[in-house]
Amino acid sequence: MASFLKFLALLPPRAVLSPNLTAKGIKRWVAPTLIELERRRKRQEPQPPIPRSSFLEWNHDAELYSFGKRLGEEFNQALLKRAFTHRSYVVQKELAGNPTDTFEDNSELISEGNSIILKSVRQQYTTFPDEIVEALCNHLVNNTMLAHVAYHLGTKDIVLTAEYPAEASTLADTFRAIVAALHRSTGEDRAHLFVKDFLLCQLNGKGIFDIWDPKNPYEVLKQLAQENGVTEIEARLCNESASNTILANYQVGLYSEKKLLGIGWGESIEIAKDTAALNAIHRIYNLAI
Amino acid sequence: MSNKLFLTPKFITTPSQNGVGRYVCQLQRVVLKFCKNHGSSRGLREFIEHDLINYSKENPGTVVYLKPRRHRGPVIVGEYLNGDQQSIYCRNFSREEISKWLNLLLSQSGNHDGTRLRKLWHTEHPSIQGPWTPYTFRDPMLNLVKFPNADLSKVLNQPKTATEQLLELFEKKKNDHAPKQQSE
Repeated sequence: MASFLKFLALLPPRAVLSPNLTAKGIKRWVAPTLIELERRRKRQEPQPPIPRSSFLEWNHDAELYSFGKRLGEEFNQALLKRAFTHRSYVVQKELAGNPTDTFEDNSELISEGNSIILKSVRQQYTTFPDEIVEALCNHLVNNTMLAHVAYHLGTKDIVLTAEYPAEASTLADTFRAIVAALHRSTGEDRAHLFVKDFLLCQLNGKGIFDIWDPKNPYEVLKQLAQENGVTEIEARLCNESASNTILANYQVGLYSEKKLLGIGWGESIEIAKDTAALNAIHRIYNLAI
Repeated sequence: MSNKLFLTPKFITTPSQNGVGRYVCQLQRVVLKFCKNHGSSRGLREFIEHDLINYSKENPGTVVYLKPRRHRGPVIVGEYLNGDQQSIYCRNFSREEISKWLNLLLSQSGNHDGTRLRKLWHTEHPSIQGPWTPYTFRDPMLNLVKFPNADLSKVLNQPKTATEQLLELFEKKKNDHAPKQQSE
């Protein structure tokens, strides 16, 4: 026994501890094979992205349930499923010869949802002039903005559509359909709140003049002031600094009956007057968004 | 990846104004991959046995998938609403460690692996007073002044000339000596 232990001690440690790890045990084919596979993969054209819904770990019903819970809304599950089913998906199923009786597409919900969203936006800004409300509607209710919102709600993988990845217009339509589904599930108030919390909050950090950019602010002010009963507007040069240099700076104030309507700065008097007009419009209508 | 040269510099951001309207948990689904009999998955198996039901009840907005795989290491894969994916290899992790990592996934806005924050704070309004203009804090007295004005045209911070300094020194010395003479 003692002589056997002595023999073990003389051997290199690896041979004792792991007798399988001999020259034969090391799989010399693994690395070259992986390298070759990687080389072939790189030589190929870029492959189309694999839909998440084709994975083994996927349950569409669970995803739909979680979608509602995540947003803190109680959806009617059948309506929500319908909101996510696009016409193109139903057509694809039909062409493949599958029964499509259980599928209802969302084309009806899309148009319904669009009008609900527009109504919510208009309802939020009742005190604003029509021109500005229209600009806000155009900024918020378009495919790019709605697709951005829908993407971040997690619709990208759940949406049932023929193309993958889903196009911006499809995602935007999905958002419209979701709003309509919510309107039908829990009523108008929740739908308005939903639009307010997810769509109108996109205006955070933006000023009204980033969205609405009038060509002649002074003329617009005159027109708006006339509607509000202010007839005469007087522009006064309040301050000027560094005139005749490239850093020239003027401050113009607009007054009506000795009351300040708005004040603005600019590198020339004309620009300062326009800035003051924008400021006056902002003050008159309280345009904080 | 501990060398900061390899980390991507980032600023703190919020995906799609999250929290301005209402807060939405950004972890949309999590896949727990484990082996049913290998020892390295023991902690994850224990977590599934004891804590998973509570976890999914508390977070109904996150879809939890279980994926048993024979003789492979346990992995947690989280998917975020912004499209990020994060996988955590949790070989030999205990049940508590698993729940801590899952809690981290819940509270993150995306996968921040391999990134370095350039600033630990963020503000949309760096100044509440607004930008400075040449007319900010201007003395209202200047509104009534007629230019050119001799008083306002004087050079500010004019240093004393050598002669003036000498005269001052002379005066000071004279004053220092004067009381001594009186006391004698």
